[in-house]
Amino acid sequence: MDLDFTPVLDSLWYLLGGLELTLALSVLTVACSLLLGGALGLARCYGPAWLRWPIVFYIDSMRAVPVLVVLVWSYFALPIVTGWVLPPFWAALVALSAHISAYVAEIVRAGVTSIRVGQTRAAFALGMSRRQTVRTIVLPQAIVRMLPAFGSILSITIKDTAIAAVIAVPEYMNRSQTVAGQSFHPLEVCTVAMAVYFVILFPVTRVVDMVYVRLAHLGRS
Amino acid sequence: MRFDWSVVWHNAGALAEGVELTLLLAVTTMVISIPGGIILALMRLSNVRALSAASAAFVELFRNLPLILVVYTAYYVMPVTTGLNLSALATGIVALSLNVSAYNSETFRAGIASIRKGQTEAAYALGMGRWQTLKEIVLPQAIRRVLPVLASTWVSLFKDTSLVSVISVGELAYTSMRIRAQTFRVLEMLTAMAAIYWLLGYPQAKLVDWINRRYGVKE
Repeated sequence: MDLDFTPVLDSLWYLLGGLELTLALSVLTVACSLLLGGALGLARCYGPAWLRWPIVFYIDSMRAVPVLVVLVWSYFALPIVTGWVLPPFWAALVALSAHISAYVAEIVRAGVTSIRVGQTRAAFALGMSRRQTVRTIVLPQAIVRMLPAFGSILSITIKDTAIAAVIAVPEYMNRSQTVAGQSFHPLEVCTVAMAVYFVILFPVTRVVDMVYVRLAHLGRS
Repeated sequence: MRFDWSVVWHNAGALAEGVELTLLLAVTTMVISIPGGIILALMRLSNVRALSAASAAFVELFRNLPLILVVYTAYYVMPVTTGLNLSALATGIVALSLNVSAYNSETFRAGIASIRKGQTEAAYALGMGRWQTLKEIVLPQAIRRVLPVLASTWVSLFKDTSLVSVISVGELAYTSMRIRAQTFRVLEMLTAMAAIYWLLGYPQAKLVDWINRRYGVKE
């Protein structure tokens, strides 16, 4: 079989533009998810009791529903309810952040609860306030333990942005579909797409594994 | 804005069929991917360099690709390269199985590696064969450690079946979006879709949390 990569080369700039959007969407989603998920996780651990069950309900619901459903709902149904019409990119950012922040919140909670209660008690016994204890004793240790999991979040997010192709965000996956459909060369276009995603994701997972090995001892208490 | 929820009841039959296909996809994929994962894990742990490298390459490749790209590629490229003409449903199962087998293989490898080497050595000392040791000493213990992770993978798989809707497999997501396009009841159908996934997925997520608490490996 003859491989003909000219359709990919002809659309090089178009595809590179898609790659740029994939990376921009990934970075923005991770940033928003860390902020929102961090807030949710901390509120679940330290917030007032009445706030906890809605947060738990939100987190478990997001874990129960496919990200495709959240994306499609945010893009097509949310404007009907709220009246705001978001362009695909921003709808994808909202949906992916809503979904991934639930996972971030779980990571934050697991990190915080992994620090033994004795440490908090010791800090209280030394006369530290609640706020001070969380900020200077619990979080510095917990964050080290969370780091490898945050690395996995980065690779999950990059993979999930490809699903945004379904709501016509012109990112790499979407543009590959367009090029494949127009050129009738899906084999070459898909091969290049697989190579591109692999080249981005493989170093991320590798670095995460390395960071995990390097940091594992720091998280001990 | 007026909503007409009757569209959901009128199409309840089609939605039920969609749910059925979603469950069929998830169950079939898991049934293929458990043996698939075990074979890949054993290949990875074998002393034959070629087998171990082939398994590592397969696992790293499919763990580092977006599943939706694998689904799309399987649909448009597999018939061209292999000459196989599978139905969309079978193609979806192939794509999901490739992905889940890779994850399961890592799960089994970690499970097998977590059983200390001394146990294998003790079994050899007692005159047990390689295969017998694996079957009677290592695997029964590894399975207990592997179970919670497999349960989590099951929940992810259940959600990931929605991605085969891009190749027109008539599972729940595809069916809901098809009815949405036919009736223009966008909000009603998409909300019904989300609600059905939630009703099915929420108890599973809770059950997995329970399995993790019950069987999860503690320090």
